[in-house]
Amino acid sequence: MSRWRAFFQKKRLDREVDEEMRLHIEMESEELRSRGLSPETAKREALVAFGGVERYKEAHRDARGVRWLEESLRDVRYAARALIKSPAFTISSVLVLALGIGASTTVFGAINAVLLSRLPYPHDEQLVEVDMWNAMANSWHMSVVDYRALEAGQHSFSAVGAETPNDVAVQVGGADAVRQPLGYVTAGVFRALDVQAAKGRVIEPSDERVGAPPVAVVSARFAAQAGLGASITLDGIPHTIVGVLPPGVTRLGRLSGDIWPALQLKPPTRRGPFFLIGIARLANGVTLDAATRDLAGVSQRLFPLWAASFQDRSARVAPLPLRERVLGDASKTLGVFGGAVALVLLVAVANVASLALVRATNRERELTVRAMLGGTRARIARLLVTESLLMAGAGAIAGLVVGVLGLRVLIAIGPYVPRLAQAKPDGAMLGFAVVIAIVVGLIVGAAPVFVLSGGHDAGTRVVGAARGAHAARAGFVIAQFALTLPLLAGAGLLLNSFVRLLRVQPGFDPRGLVTVRVSLPVARYGNDTVVAAYWTRAMPLVRDVPGVVDAGLTSVVPPRETDLNMNNFELIDRPAVPTGAQPVSPWIAATSEYFRTLHVPLLEGRLFTPADNASVPDVIIVSHAWANRYYPDGRAVGQKLRDGGCTTCTPATIIGVVGDIKILGLDEPADAMYVPPPQDWPRQMNVVARTAGPPAEAARRIVAALRTIDAGVPLDQATALEDRVYESVMQPRHWAILLGGFAGAALILAAVGVFGLLSYNVSTRRREIGVRMALGARASAVTNMFVWRGMGHALIGAGIGLALTVWSTRALASALFDVRATDPLTLAAVTLVLLVVALTASWLPARRAAAVAPVTALRLD
Amino acid sequence: MDLLQGTLDLLVLKTLVLGPLHGWGISKRLRQLSDDALAVGQGSLYPALYRLEERGWIAAEWRHSPEGRRAKFYSLTPAGRKQFAAERTQWRLFASAVEQVLGAS
Repeated sequence: MSRWRAFFQKKRLDREVDEEMRLHIEMESEELRSRGLSPETAKREALVAFGGVERYKEAHRDARGVRWLEESLRDVRYAARALIKSPAFTISSVLVLALGIGASTTVFGAINAVLLSRLPYPHDEQLVEVDMWNAMANSWHMSVVDYRALEAGQHSFSAVGAETPNDVAVQVGGADAVRQPLGYVTAGVFRALDVQAAKGRVIEPSDERVGAPPVAVVSARFAAQAGLGASITLDGIPHTIVGVLPPGVTRLGRLSGDIWPALQLKPPTRRGPFFLIGIARLANGVTLDAATRDLAGVSQRLFPLWAASFQDRSARVAPLPLRERVLGDASKTLGVFGGAVALVLLVAVANVASLALVRATNRERELTVRAMLGGTRARIARLLVTESLLMAGAGAIAGLVVGVLGLRVLIAIGPYVPRLAQAKPDGAMLGFAVVIAIVVGLIVGAAPVFVLSGGHDAGTRVVGAARGAHAARAGFVIAQFALTLPLLAGAGLLLNSFVRLLRVQPGFDPRGLVTVRVSLPVARYGNDTVVAAYWTRAMPLVRDVPGVVDAGLTSVVPPRETDLNMNNFELIDRPAVPTGAQPVSPWIAATSEYFRTLHVPLLEGRLFTPADNASVPDVIIVSHAWANRYYPDGRAVGQKLRDGGCTTCTPATIIGVVGDIKILGLDEPADAMYVPPPQDWPRQMNVVARTAGPPAEAARRIVAALRTIDAGVPLDQATALEDRVYESVMQPRHWAILLGGFAGAALILAAVGVFGLLSYNVSTRRREIGVRMALGARASAVTNMFVWRGMGHALIGAGIGLALTVWSTRALASALFDVRATDPLTLAAVTLVLLVVALTASWLPARRAAAVAPVTALRLD
Repeated sequence: MDLLQGTLDLLVLKTLVLGPLHGWGISKRLRQLSDDALAVGQGSLYPALYRLEERGWIAAEWRHSPEGRRAKFYSLTPAGRKQFAAERTQWRLFASAVEQVLGAS
C-alpha cells in the first residue's frame, strides 16, 4: 500500500521532494539569469515564483496521504494524555474490561483446547467407537461374539480393533505389586488409530491368538521403569515388552494407560459377557450412516445364532464418532460456561460504556471548544474512539494475564472436562483477546459518539444532547440488569440444586466408615475356593483390629462407584416381550455384614446366611427403590428372576429388601440387586469398616493386617466414606461456586452502574432540587423521585432479564438435580435479590439528593 | 491568468503527451504553449503531479536530464493517455457550450 510506504518512508520521500524542489528553483533562476538578472535576484525571484516552500511540503504530504496516519498517532498521544488525566475512570474501566476480557479469554482457551482441537490421530474424523445399542437406547460394550461377527461381516471399516479396560496388579522386577488401570488391546486398534511404535513394534494379530506368548506395548514414560525386551508381571503372568510408544502417547481410543498388553479372546460359549470397546476407522468415502446400516445388518444376521443366551432382538452394534465419545458432555459444559462468561463480558462492556458516556458529558465544554476551533465531528469522534480503543487495549493486556491465570484455575478447580488439562495459552488465545479488545473498544467508543451526533449546532453544543446521552445511559443500566438476571438465576438454580443434593440421604451413616479395596491377582487366586479361603482368614483379622467396630465386604463403594457392574435380568412373572429389551440394574456382591456395618435396615424378608453359597439355588436381595420400581405392591420377596440373558439357568429368588444405598451418585436412583459373594466370588472386593476413634489410624491397621496374609495382593489406599460423599458432590459444588462468582461480579457491576447514573443525575440537578425544596417539597418526595427512577430501570431490566433467563437456563437442565430450569421460586428469589440490590444502589444517591439545602439553588452558578 | 478549477490535470497530461518532462519542464512547457498566458503556481503543480501519480495516470522516474542533471521525470502511462483523451473531449464539449452561450446574441 503506497500510503503505508509513504508513511514509513517519510524521511526519504521528504528528501526527494526537497531535491526536486531545489532543482526547480535552480533551473528557474538559471533561466532568469540567462535573461540577464543577477544571480541573487534570479534566485529570489525563483523562490517567490515557487511560493512558500513549507506550504508546498504540507500540500505534498497531504497529497500522498500521510496526514491520516500522523493524525492518528497524534490522537493516540492525546488519548493517552487524556486517560492519564482521569486515573479513576481509566483504572476502573481497564479493570472491569480486564475481568471481562480475561474471563472470556479463559473460556475461549478451554473451548479451543477441548472442542476445536482434534484427536491426536491422522484423519480423526474417520475414527469411530463401536458399541451395543438397543431399542431402549441403552448402550453397553460388545461381547466376543459381537466383535468376531463385526470383524468378519462389516464392509465399512478400513481397520477395526477392540480394547478393554482392566485393573491389574503390576509387578516390575522384585517390587511390590501395584494395582494399575490399563487397557488390553488388539492389533486392529493400532491399525485403526494409525499409531506406530517408536521402538520395537506394536501388537500384531499373531499376539492375539490364545496361547501365544504374552506381550505388551508400553508408553514412553513407563519405558523408564521397564523398557524394550524387559518382562513385567501382570496379575501374576509375565509379559514381554515388545514395543515402546512415541513420547506423549498415553491414550489409545477410549482408554488411557501406560501398559497395553495384547488382548487374547477365548472362543465364546454364549453371547455375553459384554466388555469390548470397538475402535474402527471408516474406509474412505463411507459415511457414518452407511456404516450404521451395515453394522445393523451384521447384528441382525447374528441374532438367531445365539438366541439361546440372549433375547434382546433390538440390540445392534453401532458406530459413533470417537471424538464425540471422548468429549462426552464437554461441549454442553463449556457451552454453559461460554454463555455465562459472554454475559459477564457484556455487562462489563455496558458498564464501561456508560462510564464513558458520563465522561464524555463531563467533557462537554472541552469538546465544544474543539468543535468551535474547527475540529470536525468525525475528528472528535475519532478521538473518542481512539481513547476507548486504547483503554480496551490496556484491558486486553491485563485481561490476557487474567485469562492465562484463569485457565490454570479452571483446570485446577473447574468442572471436569476431558482434555481440558492440556489447554495451554497460545496464539489463538492471544488473537481472541485482541479481537475482543477491538470489538469492545469500538462499542465503548461508539457510545459517546452516538450521543455526540445528537447535537445539532456544532457551534454551541457538541455533546449537548443531554437527553440523548441520558437515554443511552439509562439503556446501558437497563442492559446491565437484564444481563445480570440470567447469571443470578443460573447461580441460584445450581445452588438450589446443590443444597437439595446435600440433603439427599446417601442411605447410610458415613461417619467413621473407611474402605480398603483389595484386588486378588487372578494368577494365584484362580478359583473361588482360594478366594473364599483368603476372606475367611481376612475378615476376622480386620474385625480384631483395634478401633474397628464392625466390618463387611462389598464389590462397590457408595455413594458413587465408577467401576459398576450393570446386569440385565428377566422377571419370571413378567417376561420381556420377545422383541423387547430386558431391564438392567446395578449388580453388587455384598455380605450381610456390609448392611450391618453401614446401618442399612432390612425392610422385608431376610439377609444372606453362610448357607447361601454356590451349591444352592441363587438368592438375591434388592433395594427398596428396586422393589418399588418393579413390585410397587410390595410383593418383591419371593419373586424369581434370571440374570445375564440366561434362559435355561435355575432362576434366582428374591429373599429380602434392604434400605436404599446411593451407588450411582446422590442424584441418581438407588436401584440395586445384591448377591452373596460366595455365589460367584469377584476378584476385587472392598472391606468396609466402621471405626471408633480416628478412621485414618484404623485404616492403616486394617491394611497392615491384610498384608500379613499375602503381601503380594495390591491394596488400595484406604479412604473415608465421608470424604467420598463429599467428593461425589464436588462437581455441582464447583459449578455453583463458578456461576455464583460470575453472577456476583455482574451484580456488583450493575449496582455500580445504577449508582453512578443516579449520582450523576443528582449532581446535575442540584439546582432544580434546591428550587423544589425551597418551594416546599418534602425530603422524602425528592428521595422517592430518584429511587423510583433507579427502580424503574431495574424493573425494566429485570423484565427483559426474566425473558432471557427462561430462554437460557434450559441449557443448565442437565446439571440440575430435583429443580426445574424455570423453577418459579428460584427465579422469584433472584429477581428479588436483584431488585433489593438496585434499591440500595438507588437509595444511597437519592438520599444525598434529599440532603440538598434549598439555598443551593441560589449558590450554584 | 489563473487556471480554471480542474483544468490543471488536463494541461499537465497534455504537456506529457509529447514525452517525459521534469517538473520545471512541465511548467515551462505550459508557459510556452500558452504564450505566457498561463502560469502555474508551483505550489499547485507538484501536488497535482503527485495526485496524478497516485491515480496511476503518470509515472515518475529519477533520470539524468540532457544537461546532465539528475531530475525526476514524469511520463504518461497508458491509463493516463486514455484519461487525457477523455478529459480533452469533455473539455471541448464544455468549452464549445460555454462559447455558444456567450456568443448568443
